[in-house]
Amino acid sequence: MNDKKRAAYRMGVIVFLILAVLTAVEFYLASISGTVAGLFILALIKAALIIRYFMHVNRLWADGSRE
Amino acid sequence: MSVATTALSQYRAQLRSNRLGLWLFFVSEAFLFAGLLITRFYLWGGTRPDLDQQLGLIITSILLLSSFFMYVAEVAAEHEKRKTFLISLIMTAILGTAFLVGVVVFEWGGQIRPWDGAYGAVLYGMTGMHALHVATGIVFILIVWYNGRKGRYTSKRHWGVEACAIYWHYVDVVWVFFYPAIYLIGTVPP
Repeated sequence: MNDKKRAAYRMGVIVFLILAVLTAVEFYLASISGTVAGLFILALIKAALIIRYFMHVNRLWADGSRE
Repeated sequence: MSVATTALSQYRAQLRSNRLGLWLFFVSEAFLFAGLLITRFYLWGGTRPDLDQQLGLIITSILLLSSFFMYVAEVAAEHEKRKTFLISLIMTAILGTAFLVGVVVFEWGGQIRPWDGAYGAVLYGMTGMHALHVATGIVFILIVWYNGRKGRYTSKRHWGVEACAIYWHYVDVVWVFFYPAIYLIGTVPP
C-alpha cells in the first residue's frame, strides 16, 4: 500500500516537472518566433500527459475492481 | 455474498456510468472551447494583442501547480491520508483563486476592453468562459473539502473527489490550448 502510494506521488511529480519544462519551452519558442505548429504540438503533448496521468482516462474502460 | 460486498459491486457499476457521463460532458464542453479557439484564429489570424507575457506565464504556472496539488489530493483520498487530502485541496483552491485574480484583476485591468474590436471580444470571451469554469471548479473543491472534513470519503468510495479532480484537470487542459493561442501565437501589430 505504501509503495503504491509512493509510486503514485512520484509519478505526479514527474508529470508535473515535464509539464513545467514543456511550458518553459513553449515560452522560449514563442520568444524566438516559434511556429504555430510547434506550439500546437507542445500543447497536444501537455494535454495528452494530463489526460492520461492526471485525469486517468484509462479508468473509463477499467472494470472497477481497483476501486 | 454479503450485503457490504453487494453494495460495493453496485457502487463500482455506478462508478463506470458516472465516469462515462462526466467524460461525455467534457466532450460537449470541448465543442464550446474549440469554437472559441477557432474564433480566435479566424478573427486574430497571425496577430495577437499586446499582452503581459510575464503575467501569462505566471498564471499558467499557477494553474499547472494547482493541478499537481489536486492530483496529490486525489492520491491522498485513495489512501485515506485525510490531512494531506484536505491541505492539498485547500492549496488547489488557493492557487485557483490566484489564477482567477491574475486573469480578472491584472489581465482584465490592462489596456484592452471587451468592446475593443476583435481583440477585446475574443480575449474576454476566451478568458471569461475559462474563468467561469475555474470559479465553478473552486466551488466544487470547497464542497469536496467540506465533505472530506466530515469524513464522507473512504479509499473505496470517493467518486466526489475523483470527479472534482477530473473536472479541475480538464480546466487545466483547456488552458493548455488557450495559453499559446492568446499569449504566444502571432505577432503584435505595430
